Amino acid sequence: MTMTEILNHPLTQIVLGMVLILAFVGVNGLILVWMERKVVGFIQRRPGPYEVGPQGILQSLVDGVKLIAKQLVTPRGADRFLFWLGPMLSVTPVVVCFLPIPFSPALTTMDVNLGLLLILAFSGINVLALCAAGWGSNNKYALIGAARAVSQSVAYEIPLLLSVLCIAFQTGSLSLSAIAADQSRGLLSWNLWVQPLAFVIFFISATAETNRAPFDLPEAESELTAGFHTEYSGMGFGLFFLAEYTYMIVVCSVATVLFLGAYDGPFLPGPWWFVLKVYALILALMWFRWTFPRVRFDQLLNLCWKWLIPLGLVNLLATALVLKLVE
Amino acid sequence: MDFLAYPAYGLYLLLILGGGLGAILSQSLVRALMGLILTLFGVAGMYLLMAAPFLAFMQILIYVGAVSVLIFFAIMLTRSSDGGEAGREGSRGLGRMLLGLIAGLTPLAILAWVVVHKAPTELPLKPEASLASLGQYLTGPYALAFELISVALLAAMAGAVLLGFERRRAR
Repeated sequence: MTMTEILNHPLTQIVLGMVLILAFVGVNGLILVWMERKVVGFIQRRPGPYEVGPQGILQSLVDGVKLIAKQLVTPRGADRFLFWLGPMLSVTPVVVCFLPIPFSPALTTMDVNLGLLLILAFSGINVLALCAAGWGSNNKYALIGAARAVSQSVAYEIPLLLSVLCIAFQTGSLSLSAIAADQSRGLLSWNLWVQPLAFVIFFISATAETNRAPFDLPEAESELTAGFHTEYSGMGFGLFFLAEYTYMIVVCSVATVLFLGAYDGPFLPGPWWFVLKVYALILALMWFRWTFPRVRFDQLLNLCWKWLIPLGLVNLLATALVLKLVE
Repeated sequence: MDFLAYPAYGLYLLLILGGGLGAILSQSLVRALMGLILTLFGVAGMYLLMAAPFLAFMQILIYVGAVSVLIFFAIMLTRSSDGGEAGREGSRGLGRMLLGLIAGLTPLAILAWVVVHKAPTELPLKPEASLASLGQYLTGPYALAFELISVALLAAMAGAVLLGFERRRAR
């Protein structure tokens, strides 16, 4: 085999893609943690981290080293196997979730026909990881945190799927590349203008699915110490943290592909536009987190059952009706 | 990449068998659930090998992502003082093991007999069925079967609620 043949082989491309995804995930984790602390600093009128490096940009790198150097402690009476399965299971599916995301027509690791379904399926495994962690910890706060995480994400998966279905109906495809290509004819071809309600429902449900404030009941500090990761030290906690930030990127990338035209934009090359849009959405998520107070459990369920699900159903029916009429 | 099919088949087989063994041999219910999930992953892999990626992803989305989470919830809600440990000592007696073996081996024997005596001829792998045709079959010729399955699920749900109420009254 010549060099180009080896490089063009699908197996090589997948392996290369996975290595690049892992690098992307790691670097983004560092940047996002720093960004979050800077954003909360600005919102609360204080400087945030500024000692390590210019504007404190190396702070999260140093924190990472600290986390890695810490001793790993398994609490007495914990189920060792489940306890360590949790953090590992929470990070692993992330790599698969990035496979079908089209950063640009050429920069797609694997053009999966059912890409959207792949991401939805594998991001559901995170709930299972939280269950294993909460149960394995042998700690009541961890168990309550896990129970809350499960009920929350099971409830909010329905409006999320309803809003995603609208886009799938409209494009007639579950492939993220096809959905992105469908919107690559300038600003007005973005799905956001046709499906604004679906975008709002998707974004709210996604915030709840990633357990971000104001929906951070699974790790509500004032009630549950730290929720499902109460007992974890060092990289056990680090992996959960990395997973949370990476799921933020996954969710915002999917929102970018579904509603914001993916890599579409003038002047700059496609991937830059993609990353810019993803970061704009992540900034909005951070803005939510430090603006809204945490919801109560009844408010959480009321929002889902009384607003998001009925609105999502109406939106889906309207989309189907309009599509049938246009046909 | 055909050469990858055999190791993949072996891996999925290992996942299914290992997960199944883990599910029946572990003392803790949650660990048994993890074994079950491993098995479900293996089955999803088999669907992939049979060129049915839609079924494979649905298997992961529904069984791994939702059903097993519901089972976990059931374990957590019915958690008694023994902390998710399965049953009493008496439930692991020799007689029960024998019954379990019979229950497990009977379908295996029937399937083995069928495979040996009516060996299927090697069929070429059919091209992936499109989602549209799948949907048309489910709403057309198979509509009645599809609806009947949902009625069965509804009956199961109603039965579960009924059983739950009766148990509460007995207490």
